[in-house]
Amino acid sequence: MSAAGQELVVRVDRTRCVGTGACTWTAPEDLELGPDGRARPLRPVSDDRPGLTEAAEMCPVEAITVLSAASGEVVAPL
Amino acid sequence: MTVEHGETSSAQPLIPLHCLRHAEPGPPRLTALPNGTPVWLATRHADVRQVLTDPRLDRATLFAPDAPPTSTGPNLLDDPEGLLNIDGPEHQRLRRTVQRAFTPRAIARWRPWVETVIEELIDDLEAAGSPVDVVAGLTRSLPIAVISRLMDLDGVDLQRLGHWSDHALSTSAYPAEQVRQAMREFYAFSEQLIADRRKNPGDDLVSSLLLAAAETEGVTEGQLTAMVCGLVVAGHETTMTSFGNALVQLLSEAPEAWARIAVDLADATAASEQILRAIPLSDATALPGLLRRAVADLEIGGVAIAAGSVVAADIRTANHDPEVYPAIGPLDHFAPLGTPSLTFGAGPHHCLGAWLARMELELGLHRLANRLPGLRLAGPLEEISWREGLLTRSPASLLVAW
Repeated sequence: MSAAGQELVVRVDRTRCVGTGACTWTAPEDLELGPDGRARPLRPVSDDRPGLTEAAEMCPVEAITVLSAASGEVVAPL
Repeated sequence: MTVEHGETSSAQPLIPLHCLRHAEPGPPRLTALPNGTPVWLATRHADVRQVLTDPRLDRATLFAPDAPPTSTGPNLLDDPEGLLNIDGPEHQRLRRTVQRAFTPRAIARWRPWVETVIEELIDDLEAAGSPVDVVAGLTRSLPIAVISRLMDLDGVDLQRLGHWSDHALSTSAYPAEQVRQAMREFYAFSEQLIADRRKNPGDDLVSSLLLAAAETEGVTEGQLTAMVCGLVVAGHETTMTSFGNALVQLLSEAPEAWARIAVDLADATAASEQILRAIPLSDATALPGLLRRAVADLEIGGVAIAAGSVVAADIRTANHDPEVYPAIGPLDHFAPLGTPSLTFGAGPHHCLGAWLARMELELGLHRLANRLPGLRLAGPLEEISWREGLLTRSPASLLVAW
């Protein structure tokens, strides 16, 4: 996999999000709680695969999806 | 307003939870807890959500020395070392020790086993013959079987666990000293279980909690003890309450929904979400909602709330907010929910066991309706005996026939 292939995009389903904030502790450079108490991405692409994978897997309402920026494939949760 | 112990056979029959009327949601208003402590009551969906997610509101300062009294009497939820009463980074660290076991995927792995348990319990109901008590036979037995398996409580006296759980969530059902005694025994049990699992770890939830805690800085023995008690109680009480009250509603007024739940698991899933939203777990007589305390001045729904104020999130009213859930006619079990209900809360203290509860409820309803499509209540609603004086209310027993 090339370096560009390591780039990830995180998406938050803001309807599902119940604002537990767990993801903002796991991946603080990529996710924050907005003023409406819902999580939102902080940057267009990220390389924090461990942090984002854990954020997606641990989200109690499965509101987080992590995709490969290059292929659009789902990286987490799997 | 609190229900006194022994009122089960009171002249005035209690209204089933699904028949309770709901207040019109409005801006936060100042009211009082039963003990007189002033409290801001949030009722609109957006306001309740803010109360539960806004970091300027917390749980820990409800137990600070300067806090006004909010306790309904001794109970597990008021333990300052409980997960519910810890906030911020410390809470995130502690919650992570158990979170992994409760993710949707982790819970889904239990699904086939839970189905087997349900089938066996329904076998026993059928063998006992009509009419039968579906609370003893299924709605109480299922959650106990599941949490016992998850925590590997084989060989533990489940009746004692049930006794402790009831006391741990008592508001007025038992005298305070009796509750304190039960809690002491419960905590001693928890401490012993923790000591045993440290010596002989297994693949159960207590062992994995202890392993994760050992790698986490600052987790105290008191926090672990309260957590183990909390897992037992949560596993016992809330799913039983929801399942029992769901059956009261479905069997008394929704035969068409029952028929659909029997046939299609997806319909059972949808119905579970609507039931969880629409049928409250309690009368809200002891507490008007989930309590928080403002740690800074803030505004909720256009109303200024001063630092130090106690705020209650009225989930029951918010779950019927017509702005979010247009209410036309009787409950439509199969309407897509859109916005998630607030039944499991929101924010950092969102219910850890939400997916487990959902799975037990949807599979339990689906399999019961499938196996016994002609199921009906064997007696009138007015004669249901309720579990009273606890933080939740549900049938103590429910005779069903087919």
